Amino acid sequence: MKRDERSYRVALVADSYVNPPPGGVDALAAAAQAGWGVIQLPADDYPATVAERLLFEVAEQAEEFARHGYDLVLVGQRDGLAEAFASVGLALPGGIIPESFVALKEFLGSRPNPPALGRPGTAGG
Amino acid sequence: MGVAFVAHCMLNQNSKVGDGAHCAGIYSPIVDVLREKGWRIEQMPCPELAFAGLNRFWAVREQYDTAAYRRHCARLATAVADVIALRVERGEDVVLIGVEGSPSMGVTITSSDSERGGRPEWPDGSPEHVSGEGIFVEELRRELDSRGIGFPRVVGETHAIPGHDESAERAAVEAALDG
Repeated sequence: MKRDERSYRVALVADSYVNPPPGGVDALAAAAQAGWGVIQLPADDYPATVAERLLFEVAEQAEEFARHGYDLVLVGQRDGLAEAFASVGLALPGGIIPESFVALKEFLGSRPNPPALGRPGTAGG
Repeated sequence: MGVAFVAHCMLNQNSKVGDGAHCAGIYSPIVDVLREKGWRIEQMPCPELAFAGLNRFWAVREQYDTAAYRRHCARLATAVADVIALRVERGEDVVLIGVEGSPSMGVTITSSDSERGGRPEWPDGSPEHVSGEGIFVEELRRELDSRGIGFPRVVGETHAIPGHDESAERAAVEAALDG
């Protein structure tokens, strides 16, 4: 069986970097080049009730990654995310508001190894 | 503009079941097509990740088909349907990109084995693949139907299917996007 190729690195990314405007920072391209997975945050123009549901699901999934020692970072920002994280007992991870593709790629590439990489038997997460 | 609702693992292979991650994070073959064609990306939650966790076993539909898992999927489907409804109201074209062979995210192929259970030993191969939808996709269909919203066109990532061919996968995604 082919080995599992996950990176144990997950970036929570504001919608404006997942679906960037022309000339904007494309976080999916940066994440692909740097070897990171992405969890998309809800678009800023979604009604509060819609965004709250999505943010709770984001927080619950981030909690599972955090419990297993995956690295988490925040790219951009999203109102309500801190409250959603607090509801599952997490603080917001450190992050970046990237001014350029290069800055984002360098930020992702400069992170230390996640704790999960040092744990035995965590290939499956 | 079109909006592609993509399975969580298209953007985050870290969510995959153990030994299931095909790459570090972003599954570029699908994302590249969406970018080239100018489609907006909406990532759906991974139904299995928060419910069964990162250390879950590979499983078939019958093992996930419990009342509790269906309630979990229905909750996620409500959140996704909210966004699909918004996009449909704006007159945008919507496509669903799932994961063929998945017990949760399959759109035309899922996995089934009524005998599977107990000690996790079974031969390699894929006799469990059958036509059908995964449990989350069924719950999303039910939620959209209850709102009177038609189910979107679908296409699936095919890595888990024997004979997977990346060029054929790309052609299928392009065909789904083109309608």
